[in-house]
Amino acid sequence: MFPITHYLFLGALLFCSGLVVVIIKKNMILVLLGIELMLNASNLNLVAFNQLYPNSIQGQIFALFVIVVAVCEAAVGLAIVISVYKYFQTPVPDEISELKE
Amino acid sequence: MLVAEKYSWIVSFTSPLLLLLSTMAAGLVFYWTWNKPPLAMSLEWFSLGGYTFTAGVLITNLSCLMLLVVTFISFLVNFYSTGYMAGDPAIRRYFGMLGFFTFSMLGIVLADNLLLIFVFWELVGFSSYMLIGHWKEKPEAADAAKRAFIFNRIGDAGFLIGLMIIWASAGTFTLQTLSESPELVGWQTAASLCIFCGVVGKSAQFPLMGWLPDAMEGPTPVSALIHAATMVAAGVFMLARVQILFTPSALDFVALVGGLTALVGALAALAQYDIKKILAYSTISQLGFMVLAAGTGASEAAVLHLVTHAFFKACLFLAAGSVIHALHQAQVQSHTEFNVQDIRQLGGLQKKLPFTFIIFLISGSALAGIPFSSGFLSKDAILSSLTLWKGSEFSWRWAIYAVGFAVSFLTVLYTFRMIWTIFRGPEKATIHLSVAEPPLAMRVPMAILAAGSFWILFSWNPFDFSGWVYSALSDNTSVHLNYISVVSALWVLFALGVAYWIREKEITAPVFTNAFYLDSLIKRVVEAPVFHVATITEHTDKKWIDGFLHTTAYIQLIAAHVTGWFDRVVIDGFVDGAASLAKGVGSLTRSFQGGKIQLYIFWAIFPIIIFIIWMLL
Repeated sequence: MFPITHYLFLGALLFCSGLVVVIIKKNMILVLLGIELMLNASNLNLVAFNQLYPNSIQGQIFALFVIVVAVCEAAVGLAIVISVYKYFQTPVPDEISELKE
Repeated sequence: MLVAEKYSWIVSFTSPLLLLLSTMAAGLVFYWTWNKPPLAMSLEWFSLGGYTFTAGVLITNLSCLMLLVVTFISFLVNFYSTGYMAGDPAIRRYFGMLGFFTFSMLGIVLADNLLLIFVFWELVGFSSYMLIGHWKEKPEAADAAKRAFIFNRIGDAGFLIGLMIIWASAGTFTLQTLSESPELVGWQTAASLCIFCGVVGKSAQFPLMGWLPDAMEGPTPVSALIHAATMVAAGVFMLARVQILFTPSALDFVALVGGLTALVGALAALAQYDIKKILAYSTISQLGFMVLAAGTGASEAAVLHLVTHAFFKACLFLAAGSVIHALHQAQVQSHTEFNVQDIRQLGGLQKKLPFTFIIFLISGSALAGIPFSSGFLSKDAILSSLTLWKGSEFSWRWAIYAVGFAVSFLTVLYTFRMIWTIFRGPEKATIHLSVAEPPLAMRVPMAILAAGSFWILFSWNPFDFSGWVYSALSDNTSVHLNYISVVSALWVLFALGVAYWIREKEITAPVFTNAFYLDSLIKRVVEAPVFHVATITEHTDKKWIDGFLHTTAYIQLIAAHVTGWFDRVVIDGFVDGAASLAKGVGSLTRSFQGGKIQLYIFWAIFPIIIFIIWMLL
C-alpha cells in the first residue's frame, strides 16, 4: 500500500501538466485534452482521499460523476471545436479574433 | 477755412471788414478809457494745487493806445493785402493767419498777467512763423520761418525762466499786484533780465537779431505788420508794461543792449542792397533805439517812438511792396528777369511811380527824423531822455548818448541813400519797362499811413513832443528840452547834406553788409559747439544707451529662451509625462485582454499560483 502523498504528488503533477497543456498548446483539441488531464488529476485525488475512509464510497462515486461530466464536456467541447473549425477554417483559438478591433 | 476754395476771394472782403469792426471797437475802448483810471477785469482761469491762476484784461493808457494802433495798422495792412496778394492760391490761409497774428498781438496788449502775456507771446511767434513761411515752396522762406521761430524760442526760454523766478519769489503773475509790491528779494535783477531776454528775441535785439532780415522772405504786407504793429512791437510794449519790475542795473543793461542794437542795425542798413533788407535793418536799429529809451527809464518815449514808427515803417514797407509789386507786374508783362528788390537795379522811378515816390518820401523823412514829421518828435523824445539820463558826470552813459546821435545821423544817411537810388538818378534795369501804379486797394492804406507820419497826429507843436500821447503816458512833468530839438534838427539837416554829398558812393564794407558777421559768429560760437555736443550726445546715445538697451534686450531674449525651454521641457514634459503614463497604464492593462483565451486563463491562474506560493512559503 502506497502512502497517500504519492497519489497526491501524482495528482498535482497531472494537474500541472494539464494546466500547462491548456495554456501553451495552440490546438483547441489539445487544450480539451489538457482539461481532461486536469479532470483526471482531480479524480485521482478524490479516489486517493477516499482510500483514507474505507467505510464510505462518496469519493469513488464522485469520481464516476466527474468521468461522466468529463465525457459530456468533451462531447460538447469537441462539437464546439468542430463548428468553430467549420466556420473559421482553423482549430487555433488565437487566430479567431473577430471582436478584436 | 470756412470758405470753399472757389469762393476764396470772399476772405479778401471779410477779413478787412472784420478788422475794420475791431478797429472801431478799439476806438470805442479808446474813447472810454483814455486818460481815465485803468480798467481791470479778471476771471479765474484754472487752479493748480493750492494756486489759482487768473486771466483778465488790464486797459491802461498804454494798452488802449496800442490797441488802436495795432488794429488800425492791421486793418490797413489787410486792406493793402487784398491788392497785393490778389490771385495767391493760399489766400485763405494768408488772411486767416493775418487775423490770428493780430489777435495774438491784441492778447499781449490786453492781458493783465505775465502768464497770459506769455501765452499770446508764443502765439505771436507761431503766427509769424506761419506768415514768414507763407510761400513755403521757396526753401529760403521756409528756412527764414524756422529761423525766426528758433530765435524767438531762445528768447522765450529766458522769458519762461523769468516767469518761474517771479512766481517763485512773488507768487503772482498779475501785473497790478506786481507793480504794487515790486520787491522780489534778491531776484529782481535776474527776473527782469530774464524777461528782457524774451524782449531781445521778439524785438530782434542784439544778439538775436538775425531772424528779422531773413524774415523778409515773407510777403511784404506781412513784413509791414511784423515791423510795425505786431511781433517786434510786442517786445517794446512788454518792456514798457513791466518796466516797474526792472532794477536800475537791469535798466542799464537794457540801455546798453539797445544802444548796441541801434548802432549795429544802422551800420548794417547802410550797406544793404535789398530794399526790404534795408528796411529790416532800419527796424532793428529803431527798435534798438526804443529799447535804449526804455533802458533810460523813459518808456513813454519808447512807446511814442513805437507808435510813430508803426505808422511810418508800415508805410515804408507798403511803399516798398508797391515798388516790388509794380515792377513785378511789369516784369511779367514784358518777360524780363531781374531782382526787383535790388536797389542797384533800380533808379529814376520817380517819373514812373510818382505816387509811391511821394509816399516813400514822406515816410522816409519820418524815419530819418526830418522836422515836421512824427519821427522827429519821437526821436526828440528819446534824445531828450538820453540827455537827462546821461547825467552831468562823464561816464559810460555818454558813449551811449553819442551812439544815440550817431544812429540818428546814420538813419538819415541810409534813408536818403535808399530813396535816392530807387527814385532819382538814371534808370537802369527798368528803363524799357512800362510800370503802372498799384491798384487803389494798395494806394489808400499807403496814403492814410503817410498822413499819419506827420507831426500833427501826435503833437500840435512840431518841435515839442509832449503832445497828447506823450503826456498821457508819462506821469512826471515834461522832460522836453528846447535845445535838444534845435540840436536834433540841425544835426538831421547836417546829415542830409552829408547824405547828398555821398549819394553816389558805393558802400561796400563787408562788415556792414553782413551785419558785423553776427550770423557767422553765432554759427561759429553757438552752432558749432551745439552740433559738437549733439554729435557727442548722439554717439553716447548710440554707444551706451543703445548698447544698454541692446544688452537688456539680449538678456531678455535669453531669459525668454530659457523660459521657453523650461516650458517646453518641464511643464510640457509634466503634462506629456502624465499623458504617456496614462497611456502606458492603459496599454499595459489593455495587453491583458489581447483576445487570446489561453492568456486569459494564464492570467486567471497566475495570481492563484502566486497566492499558493506565498501561502507555502
